Amino acid sequence: MNPMHIFKQWLGFGSLLWLAGQGLPAAAQLPSQTADGYALPQPGRHFAFPRDHGSHPEFAIEWWYVTGHLVATNRSTYGFQATFFRRALLPPTSTNRSASDDFGNDQIYLAHMALVDKTSGEFRFQERINRAGWDAAAATNTLDVRNGNWTYRLLPAAVGSAGRETFALQATIGDAVAFTLDFTPQKPLVVFGTNGVSRKAQDPTAASHYLTYTRLAATGDLTLNDNHLAVTGEAWMDHEFSSSQVGTDQVGWDWLSLQLFDGREIMAYRMRRADGTTDPFSTLAWVDRQSAVRQVGPRQFKWTVLEHWHSRKTGTDYPAKMQLEAFNPASGNWETFVVEPLVPDQELAGKIGGVGYWEGACRVRDAAQHEIGRAYMELTGYGQSLKGKF
Amino acid sequence: MPDQPHVLRILWTRFAWRHWRLAPVSSWLLLLILALGVAAFFSIRLANEAAVAGFANFTDLITSESDGLITAPVGPLPTAVLKDLRQLLGNTPVNLVPVLETSAVPPRRAETEGIGARPTYQILGLDLPALVNLSSPAYGGGLPATASAEASPSAPNQPGGGLRTNAVYISAALARRDQLTNGSRLSLVINDRLAALEVAGLIPNRPNQPAAPAGLLIMDLPDLQRLTDKVGRLDRIEFVLEPGALRAERWAAIKQTLEGANLPAAPRWVVSSSAERREAGVTMTRAFRLNLTILSLLALLVGLYLVFQGLNGAVVRRRNEIAILRSLGVTARQIQQAWLVEAAVIGLVGGLLGLALGWLGAQLAVQTVGRTMHALYFGRNVDSAPFDFQEALIALIVAVAASTVAGWRPARLAANTPPAQIASRTGTASDPGGRWLQRMDLGLGLLGLGLLLTFLPPLRMEGGARLPLASYATALCWIFGAGVFAGQILAGFARFFQWLKWDSVPLGLACSHLRKPSGRHRLAAAGLVCAVGMTAGMAILVGSFDTTMRGWIARTFQADVYLSSDGDQTASSINRIAPATWESIAKDPSVKQANVIQGRELILNGVSTLLVGHDPRFFRDYSKPAWVSAPQDDTVFDAARNDHLVLASESFSERFHVAQGEVVQVPVPGGFQPVTIAGIYADYGNERGAMLLERGQFAKWFGTEMAASVILALQPGSDPEALRAKLRAAHPGLGVFTSGFLRGEALRIFRQTFAVTYALELIGILVAVVGLAFTMTSLLWERRNDLATLRALGLRRRELSWAAALEGGLLAVAGLSAGLLVSLALGWLLIFRINKQTFGWTLQTDHPWGQLIILALLVLASATLAGWFAGRWSTRLPAEREE
Repeated sequence: MNPMHIFKQWLGFGSLLWLAGQGLPAAAQLPSQTADGYALPQPGRHFAFPRDHGSHPEFAIEWWYVTGHLVATNRSTYGFQATFFRRALLPPTSTNRSASDDFGNDQIYLAHMALVDKTSGEFRFQERINRAGWDAAAATNTLDVRNGNWTYRLLPAAVGSAGRETFALQATIGDAVAFTLDFTPQKPLVVFGTNGVSRKAQDPTAASHYLTYTRLAATGDLTLNDNHLAVTGEAWMDHEFSSSQVGTDQVGWDWLSLQLFDGREIMAYRMRRADGTTDPFSTLAWVDRQSAVRQVGPRQFKWTVLEHWHSRKTGTDYPAKMQLEAFNPASGNWETFVVEPLVPDQELAGKIGGVGYWEGACRVRDAAQHEIGRAYMELTGYGQSLKGKF
Repeated sequence: MPDQPHVLRILWTRFAWRHWRLAPVSSWLLLLILALGVAAFFSIRLANEAAVAGFANFTDLITSESDGLITAPVGPLPTAVLKDLRQLLGNTPVNLVPVLETSAVPPRRAETEGIGARPTYQILGLDLPALVNLSSPAYGGGLPATASAEASPSAPNQPGGGLRTNAVYISAALARRDQLTNGSRLSLVINDRLAALEVAGLIPNRPNQPAAPAGLLIMDLPDLQRLTDKVGRLDRIEFVLEPGALRAERWAAIKQTLEGANLPAAPRWVVSSSAERREAGVTMTRAFRLNLTILSLLALLVGLYLVFQGLNGAVVRRRNEIAILRSLGVTARQIQQAWLVEAAVIGLVGGLLGLALGWLGAQLAVQTVGRTMHALYFGRNVDSAPFDFQEALIALIVAVAASTVAGWRPARLAANTPPAQIASRTGTASDPGGRWLQRMDLGLGLLGLGLLLTFLPPLRMEGGARLPLASYATALCWIFGAGVFAGQILAGFARFFQWLKWDSVPLGLACSHLRKPSGRHRLAAAGLVCAVGMTAGMAILVGSFDTTMRGWIARTFQADVYLSSDGDQTASSINRIAPATWESIAKDPSVKQANVIQGRELILNGVSTLLVGHDPRFFRDYSKPAWVSAPQDDTVFDAARNDHLVLASESFSERFHVAQGEVVQVPVPGGFQPVTIAGIYADYGNERGAMLLERGQFAKWFGTEMAASVILALQPGSDPEALRAKLRAAHPGLGVFTSGFLRGEALRIFRQTFAVTYALELIGILVAVVGLAFTMTSLLWERRNDLATLRALGLRRRELSWAAALEGGLLAVAGLSAGLLVSLALGWLLIFRINKQTFGWTLQTDHPWGQLIILALLVLASATLAGWFAGRWSTRLPAEREE
């Protein structure tokens, strides 16, 4: 969910909605393709890997998203975000394709890279767009996506550690930052939604396949202003593909990924309506230590803003610090999490999208103010409403 | 005496400035002449700067200044190189910007429209969606978000989805000029086809960068590839690194990696940094610029001659005053300084005026100089020459320094004025250059030195250019040498007329002054020699060029019909004819034989030249080449036997120092091919030189059948006009010309190029005559007491005016005699040394006697008239007057 808004900003889509665990329509009700011929997610889809880590060009929209928290050998700490998007410009049936594979006209790729130095507070980001072709592509048989000199790949088995999957990210931000990171899943892949389909909105075509590694071990090198640092840490990875979005009454959304020190993770978002209320398609998913997923609807979690942060660059007010109270179906208890940005300014006020948003590394505390985990939070639609734009 | 600065201030305000105000016309004239010299210098340099700046890169206007680029060793780069480069460079943060360029013109409005009459557009093919990556302020702009959103067709806007096709982005200047808006249609000839393009938006301006010129258009790269039949091909790939402290270091590493990946036997690419490219642009035109700068400095020199004359005259006129000042205790040193300051002020004011005139001139010059440079070297248009403060400062320093130098001798003469002269008012006036102009040994020495210098070879510069420096020095030696002799001729004429004993008081008076010419007379004659010599010499060169060109054009265009892309208007156009088109035309029943011409720019030993694929037999039969070294047998003309044989142009042979029978290694895709020069022919088409190769081999080596032009010989009885009309109707994107039309056009374009020389000739005459007028005024001022005496003795004003007119006329005759003689030598020097050494062209000498006679008559008449006016003015002078 998290990167979608950015993609939408650029590519012109409606808002996303996650459907809570209840109320999914029957599988038979889901159409197999959109009116213009793009594929739609189908319940019960059998995911095969590494093929399903790769691109699905029969779907209109797809992204690979990694965030994480790193510690360098010199004890300095960092947060990072890497997002690769794909958007189809031509339906699979179109005959209007470019004669040149190097300069394709059927797909366009967008990517965002961000790094925050938790010690100095310095936040850097860069965005990039390229048409399908010589400088941007995504393989269909495995995860191998690239945009300019940025790449995100599933390493061949022999290269990965101890027979497990290893994903490799290679990226730079401007002149001063370069990172080469390897990610090894610490927990199995989870599929959000019901029966492999994650509904987004009231419209049944608005649905996606949403695959996530909620915890990966990260190791690699970070170069910052010509200083080379060995880093380790933990990461979160989403891969999602879909073909349709709705949400005409929404103005934006808030999204969270929490990695708790006790081995559990939480993914939550709330779609915000123009009147400030939370859309019923908002949801929260608990992932326990064994990777079992339990989703709850908006009535079973509460999102309270504690503090705001004002961006001098864009003049936008963001609800930076927040408190999440959620019902845990496994224990039958409500739990409280305070999510606090590690650095206030983690706003991606890039020029490409024309709409700024905030996405940043946070710490997580419990009600007693004990630090119990780390998070990444995404806040959109605060500078200007996304309604009617996409 | 008060302190020195105070004295200088008083001398300036009370004396110099007062005189300037009293004689405003001559003051302004002096300033104007100097300003003209400075303007010539400044405008040529500005125009040149603009032309070279245009070379830097159009892409710089759109994206950001690139750090470097690669091109193919020869021909286009395959797009597959892009992926290889990205892999090779790994995680290096660098934007690769692929570029394809072409030229295009609007379709002709009338069939009779001349070549070059329509605007030529440069279309830049760029990967539009990726351009937005350079929009960050860190890159210095790029496309602003709004424009990039427009330029990056991220939203499907084509029926059925996909990226927009045939969309073109235009400059604000073009939108204004042609009143185009989004959605307007723009019809352009690209290659041999008419393309209907749609205006999709404006090219945004980058902050602190010049606005995109009207002739620049931008399209999505694959779209332009399709329109130009160049799918899978690129002209170059530019590298734009992330801005930051490591940028230069990163580029150095990239360059090393790229060069390391090249195989020596078959290099894949040529890597050059932006600085090197700019330097290459500067190098390529260095000789051209030096030639122009030397010419402009000559203009300045003539201006300084006038400053010298003007100041010297002023010394004469203010002699009494100086003597009084000297009597009052002003030291010789202070007098000298005051005069030098005056000279410097003339330089400063004239220089400032020159800057203004020069800037205006540069806007005109950029049209001619810029066009010439771009036709010869760059293939891009430059619309204007922006004011350059550094160049302005240089011009101003040159003006002030040169003016001060010119004022040096007058200042010394002024300083040497003794106080005693106030009483006597006799003795010689300050006599400029008197002594050295009387030294025959100096004159002979200069003429001899000039002759010796003609044996020196030209200075060979980077980029294959040659600068005939020694020949320029010869020209100077001969002009100065002839100037010395002019004084002798002057005395000879005077004696001759006296010997004739004509009963004419004015003639007698004139001859009495000229029999023993003063230094001032000699200097005026020398000035005329300089102006007449250069002007007439230039006329001889142009006349010879004209005759040679006419002969060449008549010989060369002997086939019936000539075809090229209708977008092909200049030597640098890169439009081509598709094989399907020329094959169908060659099969026309009225066509007897077709010569399909292919061409490719080559870099040989770092120097640009041309390789042309053609039919050698057709060339022999229909172009009737004039052989510098004729082929020894018919092998080169036989397609079955002429493998690896070429014909080379004379310019090529001169430029690359290769003779008949020698082997040249030609870079082709994937390696080199040896070719042997079978013959050398005279060619005035381009100065870069060319090698002509059998077309079949050319097509094989370069893997293309696209033709640059096609020449048709028709069946007997076929009407070229009828075929032309038929082909134009069938192929509206083709330019179809009959030989008659092409001959006329070739000559017209040639003459247009040399039109500026006629303006130079006029300026030469003007300067000579103004200099003479200055001389006459000074001479008559010196003689004002004598004139008063003569009037008292009964001479009428008319007679005195005529005496001055004859004096001026005789001066002109002396200057003209020596000037025309030296012009013959200069003509020879220009044709057989300067031109041959610069361009490698042999010209047939032809003296335009008619023009020379007109020039002589004009100078004579103007000089006589100037003398007459000066004489009339002098008869009104009282014995004592300030100005």
